[in-house]
Amino acid sequence: MIPLALTFIIDLLALLGIFIIISLSLNIEFGYAGIPNFGKLLAVAGGAFFIGAVPGRVLAYIYGLLKKYDYIDNNVEVMYALGKILGTNPFMSMAMLVVSLILAAAVGAILGFIASYPAIRLREDYLAITLLAMAEILRTIGYNYKDLIGGTVGISVPDPFRWIGGELRLALAASVIMAVAIIIFIYVELLSRSPIGRTLRAMRDNEVVAEAYGKDIVKLRMKTLMIGSAIGAIGGALYAFLSGSVTALGYDRVVYTFWPWVMVVIGGAANNFGVLLGATLFVTLRKLIIFYKSNLQPFLPFDVVWLEYLLLGTALLIVLIYRPEGIIPEKPTHTLGKKRLEKIKELVEAKEV
Amino acid sequence: MRSEILRTDGVVKSFGGVKALKGVSIRVKEGSITMMIGPNGSGKTTLINVISGLYKPDDGKVFFNDKEITGLPPHEIYKLGLVRTFQIPQPFMKLTVLENLLVAYPDNPGEKFFGALRRGKWRKVEEKVVEKAFKILKLLKLDHLWDQQSYKLSGGQMKLLEVGRALMSDARLIMMDEPAAGVNPVLAHEIFRRFRELKDKLGVTFFLVEHRLEIALRYTDYVYAMANGVVVAEGVPETVMVNPQVIEAYLGG
Repeated sequence: MIPLALTFIIDLLALLGIFIIISLSLNIEFGYAGIPNFGKLLAVAGGAFFIGAVPGRVLAYIYGLLKKYDYIDNNVEVMYALGKILGTNPFMSMAMLVVSLILAAAVGAILGFIASYPAIRLREDYLAITLLAMAEILRTIGYNYKDLIGGTVGISVPDPFRWIGGELRLALAASVIMAVAIIIFIYVELLSRSPIGRTLRAMRDNEVVAEAYGKDIVKLRMKTLMIGSAIGAIGGALYAFLSGSVTALGYDRVVYTFWPWVMVVIGGAANNFGVLLGATLFVTLRKLIIFYKSNLQPFLPFDVVWLEYLLLGTALLIVLIYRPEGIIPEKPTHTLGKKRLEKIKELVEAKEV
Repeated sequence: MRSEILRTDGVVKSFGGVKALKGVSIRVKEGSITMMIGPNGSGKTTLINVISGLYKPDDGKVFFNDKEITGLPPHEIYKLGLVRTFQIPQPFMKLTVLENLLVAYPDNPGEKFFGALRRGKWRKVEEKVVEKAFKILKLLKLDHLWDQQSYKLSGGQMKLLEVGRALMSDARLIMMDEPAAGVNPVLAHEIFRRFRELKDKLGVTFFLVEHRLEIALRYTDYVYAMANGVVVAEGVPETVMVNPQVIEAYLGG
């Protein structure tokens, strides 16, 4: 029996991991490369929809369930049968998880490639609007095209964590999500401490000059959106596995576009530790509000669900007024480490006078 | 006689109804320091923008090393070995002084989304690039500011940074839009001396747009004078400076 407080923390960690992944992907796009991706939802929903649409079908095909059932109409029966199979087969479960995540990333990259078409041609605000619209289009397709993820009803997702059994499922899910989040954090941090991180920041600071100094802006933006979307899709895919089902309406722009933006802006754009802090503050605050919902309600003249919007909106305003660069602002990132750079400097100074 | 590294043939460029360039043909000899002079609004910067690929000309052709580069995107022109600076300094504001120089190095192997992970592969190149950058910073007397974010620099220092960035690439031709504007005379002379040194040592060609003739002329091999979108005179400095059309363009008109 896991105590309630621990369940709260495990639950928090699982959600936190997902938002760390998504906000880090936005940090690459916006913080480093300066692309105002107001269509973060596109990649996240793309990853989640992929998990809703594909792994279950493939497994149902492998285990011969599609002969008996229609995947969408008899989704409950299919999932029951798959649950039994996966529940006793850890290897198959984890293999499905890993393969699905890799493929979801590929789907994300493709969506990023599509999104990069306007990104190459449009500037700032127009681009932001276009990306926002593209994400809405994907959501509308998911909602109306029943064969994809069950349309209005949604669809269940085969559970890769079920085999461990009972209460431990959430703990396993949280560990897997956190592990992926850590890997992605390390990747993004390595990126930012390498020449490519520097080049992206240069592009962000001045596109015309970067182009005049040999940077292929078109390609860079395309690759940035592909990488960012691939990571965002991994976040969406993990959320689909965690929640066990995918419903098109569940993927809205507030949660998967605006919240990550708030996390990045509050924490500090172009600083991965800042983004980590922003995501942690945000997710924890939200979870606490939901957890103490019934305790808070008597003191509020309005419904408690608005409290999080009010508090987070206020937090955002305070940060933007007093620390416009975020709680942990961007810092110079030395590719070779500051000490090594200073040493090279000394050597150069000593050589010729 | 040495060959031409840069040639423009009848370049025309208009903005709306204004004809900024009305058929400009110039030739820059390899290994020379060639200068373009002319009053404000004569089209010098437009010409540089056309050559470097920022603008596409309405008519006419641009050749670099006998290869036509008319209308190529700027980053491709840069990689062919033609680099330019900007008249109003435009550093990458949030990058440090050192980083501004490092960015300008072409084809760093660490400049890839997956290549960046293999530090071993790009570390050696990066060390060499850093060493080169520090040498340039030392020359420009900016070395003490290497770790400053560049938006904190003064106008003159930004100008120097602009020069430094251009020196980072192994370019064959460097086009500079007023490298000495806003720089104190002592340093301006030093910059031009350094240009000559680089030219002699590495065979780099310079094509400069400059207003401060009293400083620049003595370092120059060949001069073009522009007025109202056309070349009005060309030749060695001594003859161009006494050309009546040039004098009229600067003082009259």
